[in-house]
Order: sequence, then C-alpha cells, then structure tokens
Amino acid sequence: MTIKKVTNNKFLKRIGLFLAILGPGIITGSVDNDAGGITTYSVAGAMYGYNLIWTLIPSFFVLLVVQEMNARMGIVTGKGLATLIRENAGVKITFFIFLGLLLADIGNTTTEFAGVAGSLEVFGISKYISVPLVGFIVWILVVKGTYTVAERIFLIFSVSLLTYVVSAILGHPHWSEIGHAIVMPQVHANGATITMILGLIGTTIAPWMQFYMQSSVIEKKLKISQYNYVLADIIIGCIGTVVVAFFIMVACASTLHGNHVIINEAKDAAMALKPLAGEFSSQLFAFGLFIASIFSATILPLATAFYVCEAFGFDAGIDKKWNEAQEFYILYTIIIILSVGIILLPKAPLIGISIWSQVINAILLPVVLICMILLVNKKKIMGKHVNKPIINIIGWSTVVVLIGLSLMLLGSSFI
Amino acid sequence: MTSLTTFYLSRLLGCNIYDARDNVLGRIHDVYVRIYTPLDENQENRPHVTGFLIRVNGESKEAVLEDFQIVKFGTHYKVQCQGVTIVSHEKFSDAVLLKETILDQQIVDINGRKLVRVNDIRMVVIPAGTFVVAVDVGIEGLLRRLGVNNFFKKILKPFGGKIPSKFILWDDVETIEPNTLNIRLSQSRSKLNTIHPSDLADIIEDMSKNYQASIFSSLDEEHAADVLEELRVKEQVHIIESLPLGKAADVLEKMPANEAADLMDHLEDDKTEQLLLEMEPETSEEVRDLLEYPDGTIGSRMTSDVLTFSPDQTIADVLEYIQEERPEMESLYSLFVVDGSNVLKGTFTMRDLLITEATTPLDKVMNINLNRVNDYDKLDSISEIVSKYNLLAVPVTNDNDELEGMVVIDDVVDELISKRRSL
Repeated sequence: MTIKKVTNNKFLKRIGLFLAILGPGIITGSVDNDAGGITTYSVAGAMYGYNLIWTLIPSFFVLLVVQEMNARMGIVTGKGLATLIRENAGVKITFFIFLGLLLADIGNTTTEFAGVAGSLEVFGISKYISVPLVGFIVWILVVKGTYTVAERIFLIFSVSLLTYVVSAILGHPHWSEIGHAIVMPQVHANGATITMILGLIGTTIAPWMQFYMQSSVIEKKLKISQYNYVLADIIIGCIGTVVVAFFIMVACASTLHGNHVIINEAKDAAMALKPLAGEFSSQLFAFGLFIASIFSATILPLATAFYVCEAFGFDAGIDKKWNEAQEFYILYTIIIILSVGIILLPKAPLIGISIWSQVINAILLPVVLICMILLVNKKKIMGKHVNKPIINIIGWSTVVVLIGLSLMLLGSSFI
Repeated sequence: MTSLTTFYLSRLLGCNIYDARDNVLGRIHDVYVRIYTPLDENQENRPHVTGFLIRVNGESKEAVLEDFQIVKFGTHYKVQCQGVTIVSHEKFSDAVLLKETILDQQIVDINGRKLVRVNDIRMVVIPAGTFVVAVDVGIEGLLRRLGVNNFFKKILKPFGGKIPSKFILWDDVETIEPNTLNIRLSQSRSKLNTIHPSDLADIIEDMSKNYQASIFSSLDEEHAADVLEELRVKEQVHIIESLPLGKAADVLEKMPANEAADLMDHLEDDKTEQLLLEMEPETSEEVRDLLEYPDGTIGSRMTSDVLTFSPDQTIADVLEYIQEERPEMESLYSLFVVDGSNVLKGTFTMRDLLITEATTPLDKVMNINLNRVNDYDKLDSISEIVSKYNLLAVPVTNDNDELEGMVVIDDVVDELISKRRSL
C-alpha cells in the first residue's frame, strides 16, 4: 500500500513489481546447487577435468524450458504439479512417480546431511555432533513454524554460493583450455562417463524441483499478466545455477584433475584444495557447501512430504498444526530420521548414495517431464496457454535423450 | 456369478459391456450423473446415473444402457445389459461425468469442514436406478485403485489389522469443480452456505485459485460478504478481481464499510473506482471517505456504521429504532448521542438500554466523560484507551468534535497483536 503512494513513477513501479515477484526461480536455482550437486560437479571436475563442462549448456536450456512450463502451469491452473498429475493421470501413475520421488529424495536428503557432516569436518567438527544437531534444528524449524523466516535467511546466505567463483579463481584455471574443452570435449563413452553425465543432468534438473517451482509460483498468487517478470526471475535463477556449477567444476578441474587427485565427496574436494590453492580457498569451498547443504536439508524433506500428501489427499502445509496434518509431519520426520541415521552409520556408503540418488533422479525425470508436457499441452487445462511448438521440441528431445542415456547406462552395466 | 447392488466406481471403469448373448458391446469409460439438491429435504437427492461414456472401437460415445447390471464372477467384474443406445451429446448437457469431474478431485467435507480428495465413489443399484451414495476418501480407496487392496487385507487379517477406510455420505459433501457448479447452480442452493464463514474462509484459502471465485459465486450475498471478510488479503483481492463487477460490488456493499475500504486499498486504483461507481451511492460514499485516510491512522480502521441519537430521544425510541433496523452486533458495541450538527455529546451502552426506564431521555443516561480519538491520530494511540477504560468501541471525532465513526476492538486486535509479536 505504501508502495502505491510512493511510486507514481512507472519505472520504479515496474522494479517494485519485479522485486515482489522475484523469488521462485532464484530460490529454486540456489537449492539446485545443493550438497549432491556440489559433490557431483566436484567429482566430475576432478575426474574429467574441463571435459564435461559442456553439459551445462544443454542443462541450462532444458532447465529454463522446464521451469517456464512449471511456472506457466502454476499461474494458469493455480494447482500444484502433484495435484495435476493425480487429477489427470489417476492413482497408479501417481503412485509410481511419488514412490520414486520419495526414494530419490530420501537419498538426496542423506546427501545433504553428508554435505553438512563433510563441510563441518573441514572445520574440525565431528559428524556425530554436527549431523544430529543440524537435523534437530531443521526439524524444529518446520514443526515450530518459523520456516518462512528461515527461508529468507537462507536465501540471503545463498549469495555465499558465489564463494565458488573465488575458489575457482584461486586455483588459476586455464581459460583457453576451458574454452577448448567446451567446444571439443574429449570423453570416452563408457558406463562410468554416462553415469557421470546422467548424474550431472539429474542434479541440475531434479524432478522434485519441478514440483517445488510450481508450488512457489502458486504461493505467490501470480497472474498471467505478470508472466514477463516471472520469466525474468526464472532466467536469473537458471543463470545463477549454471554459473555456480561452472565455477565448482572449474575449481576442481584446474587444481585436482591436473594433480591426479581422486575425490569421492565434496569434502574431499575442500580438503584437497588446501595444499593446492591455499587454506582460504579450502575453507571457502567448505563454507559454501555447508550453506547449500543446510538450505536444501530444510527444503527437500519438507517439499517431498508436501507433494506426497498433496497427491494422495492428506492435509499438508507448515501452517497446519501437528494433529491437523499428521501424515505430513510424520512423513517429514521419517525422512529426516532416516537420512540422519544413514549418515551416522559408521561405514555409510555415502558416495554410492549420492551418485545413485542423482541417477534415480535422472531416470525419474523423463517420467515427470512426460506428464508435464502432456498436461501443459491440454487445452482443457491450459486454455490458450498451451505449449508453443519450440518448447515442445526441446521438451520432447530432453525426454528422448534422457531415456536414451538411461538405457545406455543399463546396457553398459550388463556388458 | 452374482449381480451387485453396491459397487465402487473404480470397479466399473474399464469394464466391458456384454449383451445377453455375451457379445462385447463396448467398454465403460465414464459415468454421467445428474446431481440435484432439491429444496425439499425428504426427496431423494443423490446423484442419479443417467448414462455412460463408452468406448466402442476406439471411439468415445455417449450411451444409455438398458437394464444395466454389474456382475462379479471370481475376481472380475463385468457390465451386462439388454442393449446399448448411442445418444447425442445434448442429452447429457445437464449431467456431469463422475470420473472426470469428481474422482481424484477435491471436494468439501461439510461436517469435517475441510477439503478432501476423492479416492473412489460408492454406488448403489436400486429399482429406481443407480445412485451415488458416498465418496471414499480413505487409504482403502487408494489401495483399491492400485489393485492391492485384497492383498493387504489378506496380509493384515492374521494380525487382526484393518486398512483404515473413510467414507463420507453424499449429503455431507459439496463439489467445487466449476463445471459441476455451473450446471447445478441454476437449480439449487450450495450446501456450503451452512458452513461457518471463518471455516469456509479456511477452506477457500486451501483451494486452487481458479476455483475460489466460482465457489464464491455459489454463495448467498450475505454469506459471501461474511466469508470475504474472513479471508486473507491475497485471496480477497483475487476474488474481487475475478468476480464480475456487479457481483463484486454487491458483495462489497454487504461488508462493513471499513472492511470494504481496507480491501479496496489493495486493489488497483482503476478497479477501486469502477467498484465504487457500481456500488450503491450511499455505501460507496462511506467507503470513499474511509479510503482517504492514510494507512496507519485511526480513520483507516474505523467504521462509519454508528448509531446516533439526539439528546432528547428516549430509551424507548432507541429500542424501537434498533428493533426496526436490526443492525449488526458491532454497531451496538457503543451508542452515541450527538447534537444537530453531529457534535458528539455522549455515549451509552447496551447495558444502559436494558436497565433504564423506557421513558428516560438519553441526556439523563449518557456518559459525558468522552474517551475519544481523533481520526488522524496514529493507530497505536488507541490501545491505551481500549485497555484503560475497558471499551469495546472508541468514538472517533474530527477537529470540530463531530462524530466520524468508531473503532471497534475486533478491528484493531489483529494489529495490536501483530505489533507485539514483531517486537
């Protein structure tokens, strides 16, 4: 209201509007570079040098197209993706999608807590202290309903993801080599490489993010007349995601790959950076990892519990009390307990969980994408806002490529 | 082989249709029902199956089945009938499709006062026809749809366990799907009118935005105004913007002027102007006055719905007036005495009305120690007066001591609480 009185100036009014709308795309973008993402980018950088950086380019366009579809569906229908799938595809398909999503997200949440454990170990804090503590804080944040405040704080902190730019530059990367590797990557198409590429795509475009994006657009009660601002928000978010991913890969590639350091976790990357790029670079890397992990460890279990409940018709939402939305809170609690529990196992196969949950994501992604493209092309649901041909082409090609990669992966593991 | 009298919609969908000689005539794709909610309580008011959408050779067709029967043999179900008559689409223009518009969709559970998702639909065959009796919103319905219900039942049986099931009778639900609403509104009154405004507001906040406006149009104007008052600003704005101008103006007129002004403060200026022009001149004038006060002043929160009397009127006059006008509860929190030029002279309460001789003139009864606020005072200044003098309403006057309205405690309580919380 106060804005209304101050801003007679059209330009200021526009900026005000944009700032009010800003958020869904940018938050989604920063949650995108979570612990699992950082791990995958680090490992890819260390193992393949600059040779897999090119995957970020197609990832960017697919990310953009997919999120735009989600935003448009959210604005036009006012319904979450889970609801739309349930209402149009029936119980069976919904069940299999959400079973997959639940499994993948338990894996992903475990990865987030692994990120918390790893990053704090760099600062000398034992995981047996850090993980239960962070798990409890995250749980209480949601159950006691101060989540929205937390979300804003995290959003500000997510700027710290830019520390990766500094980490990368401290490693003195060879820019000409990077350029060369993007244009002419040198990779051998074997099972390991395909798993890596699938992992990279899976972490950049995670299925649960589609649900998250659509819900946050709805939460903001956006109108189709504000579409251009929403699109700008999404583009900024996608650029942010890809830029951060790029610098993580560069940081690891220019230091670790050249020195033939093999890493398995993001923490290893932080540790390995110490002798090669200095203590400061190492700590920056760990700090970025910590913030990203805790941010995603809060959002991911919450979002997962929410979509499962949305799809199956249970009451859900952090504005509801425990006994009003039991299923929601119980599911949420189970996801956190399982994830924390797995990390605390003395010989937890963390690398496996991390990479494979990304791979499940990549296999689940085409299923979710197919549902989305079918939904967004339905005149009955979208009216005149159905997909333009170009978006359908990109969408369907993504589906085909992902299915192809998944099949190749399956094939290569049998040969 | 047994013919079933009750069955689930999920069993029926996808069933083959056989004639008496066991030829397959098609496959059930969806079911047309006519939903009516007659005003007469005793009448049968469950949705009545009037026809089917069937698939014949890959094509969808509207059809009526003669002597329709659903039979179970072993674990399979099939539909048997004497014959299938393909009919034109128009025949079902007043009917809705069960699978498309109700199954898997959200409906309002009237008694539970919340939104629930329909997992399955329970139907019954009686001589009068086939009817919907209840919706299944429990886990059992989900498992049945997944085809694993019997499997789980067998596993749980030795342990005495049961799959939680939950049914709601059709009488206790209301659909919200805009298409079904449009068809029905011409003939019935929404069951939602029986839900308390604040509960209904909570339900509407949970709905997806495209349904909010249509649900809203199905309510009586009075009820709609009460519900609108209870909604969050975001939803208020959305609903007013999506209602047709005339309807929106009608609802706003029914709201207290201060609530309407608060809401309109959040609309775009053009929209506000259009609405004010559409409203009754008397109400819109009141709202317009209130809109002029800057945010955070007493004036922006006050109501101008006040009851004023002259000093020489008697208690009996006041009672007669109130009985005739039947004002809202809020307007009775405090009553005012003003002179010919609307200058505030005193206040009196409902207690005074009840305990005083009917012939007593008001100037003998009224309280002349005036605790009042100025219309341009800051909103904070009111909390002190309210708590110190235990007032339900505080008169608001302008610089010339003329009565402008009053601030009712209900309208500032949220403000005061949120102020405390943010500290």
